[in-house]
Amino acid sequence: MITFKDVSLVYPNGTQGLKDINVTINKGEFVVIVGLSGAGKSTFIRSINRMVTPTSGQLLVEDEDILKLEGKSLRKLRTKVGMIFQNYNLVNRSSVIKNTISGRLGHTGTLRSIFNLYSKEDKMKAYDNLKRVNMEEKVYSRADELSGGQQQRVSIARVLTQDPSIILADEPVASLDPPTSHQVMSYLRRVNKEDNITTIVNLHFIDMAMEYADRIIGMRDGEIVFDGPVSEVSDKTFEQIYNRPIRDEDLRGSEENETSEQE
Amino acid sequence: MANDFRLPPKPNRTRKRVRNIIIALVLAVIYFWAFSGVIKKIDWSFFGEMGEKFGKVIPRLFDPAWEEFEKVFDLILETIFIAYGGTLIAAVLAVPFGFWAARNMVKSPIWNTLGKWFLILDRTFPELILAILFVISVGPGAFAGMLTIGLTAFGMLGKLYAEVIESIDMKVVEAMEANGANKIQILFYAIFPQVLPEFLSFALYRFEIDIRASTVLGLVGAGGIGTLIVITAANRNWEQLGLIIISIVVVVMIIDFISSKIRKRLV
Repeated sequence: MITFKDVSLVYPNGTQGLKDINVTINKGEFVVIVGLSGAGKSTFIRSINRMVTPTSGQLLVEDEDILKLEGKSLRKLRTKVGMIFQNYNLVNRSSVIKNTISGRLGHTGTLRSIFNLYSKEDKMKAYDNLKRVNMEEKVYSRADELSGGQQQRVSIARVLTQDPSIILADEPVASLDPPTSHQVMSYLRRVNKEDNITTIVNLHFIDMAMEYADRIIGMRDGEIVFDGPVSEVSDKTFEQIYNRPIRDEDLRGSEENETSEQE
Repeated sequence: MANDFRLPPKPNRTRKRVRNIIIALVLAVIYFWAFSGVIKKIDWSFFGEMGEKFGKVIPRLFDPAWEEFEKVFDLILETIFIAYGGTLIAAVLAVPFGFWAARNMVKSPIWNTLGKWFLILDRTFPELILAILFVISVGPGAFAGMLTIGLTAFGMLGKLYAEVIESIDMKVVEAMEANGANKIQILFYAIFPQVLPEFLSFALYRFEIDIRASTVLGLVGAGGIGTLIVITAANRNWEQLGLIIISIVVVVMIIDFISSKIRKRLV
């Protein structure tokens, strides 16, 4: 469970990233945060694993106030909270398996990880997770030989390998084409359901948010302007969140009307 | 309509033009002054003898004394080893200094600038001066040469390494931070894979330069083929000098060729 209590964040340059956020996200929920760019979606997500640090309030992750964590205890938090990025952030020159097993770094001693001495269970875990995202055939390929969608799947495998209880995904499909986007979202959705991992995803595509989310949180100017289950959401809600009529660019389009990616 | 089209009028360039003319005049005066000084000091009679002297020396250079090949070969091998050992010292030593001088690795800008300055300071030392210092402190021979190469190459490699580190994709570092890796793990998993091939490539490139540099180190007694060059030239043993020069050219060409092949595959 994640609880924001009066959380605010002011960046050093004076920009207010978050304004008095109060929200609770329950175990196993699939939450999609929507909003225009600059609305504070990224800041919100990155507060949960302390890639940014809110300046006031309390942020509880599994009943622990994470805003005071430092050093080792912060790293421990981050092993529980996995993150997926827009640009996949894999090491291009390393193999798929090496990228995947780097998810174990937080659980592995420094010396063991430097000399690549992972336990058999760790290796199995990495390989199994690659199988879950259908990437087992590319185990020894270099990350930069893969397509964008494949790279994002490897990064999902990497996150799963760290055994997280929460997954944060910051615009995971913004650099992908529509069919690949749906594929990546489906994997995230499946992992969320099968492993009961709380998943929080930033998206700015309305139709994708509607298709995959249990619950939608709308943000504008660092504030939460909407919070509710998908069933309560309509086009009107989005117009209210975006503070303007919906445009074509807010839609990703569905899987069917595009040819699927050649892989 | 199209006939009436005109570009907007050019801004007034008179000041710029005057400035350029003044710069050109000043340069012309400096050149005139420099050349007139040089011409006065030239010993023209030297040119008369030049053709004759060249005629004596050049043919003998191209008639190498192959019987000395073994001696020359040994010394060239020593020269390569000096370059290799020196570059190895530099390539390893430059890693921590490269990190110190990389903007994205050091939080404090003052500390970082200090690192950059340190490497600049190292690069300002001329090789031969350093070689003389080492010959005095550790005695003449290959060891002094190796230390010289190590210390001069390290300044350049450190700077190049720092630039490589500054150009890495910090997003990978971010990803590792986000999965709970500590600083050392981030170094090995996010940074080294990105920089090591380029580090190696620069070290090889520096090795090419160091081969050439170490051939002259012997001039001041720091080992290698240079000592023999001085002695041979003093004895006017042009056949042997010819052999030495040809051997150096061949060796440098071979090593440049191999190393550029390797570097192409690395990056």
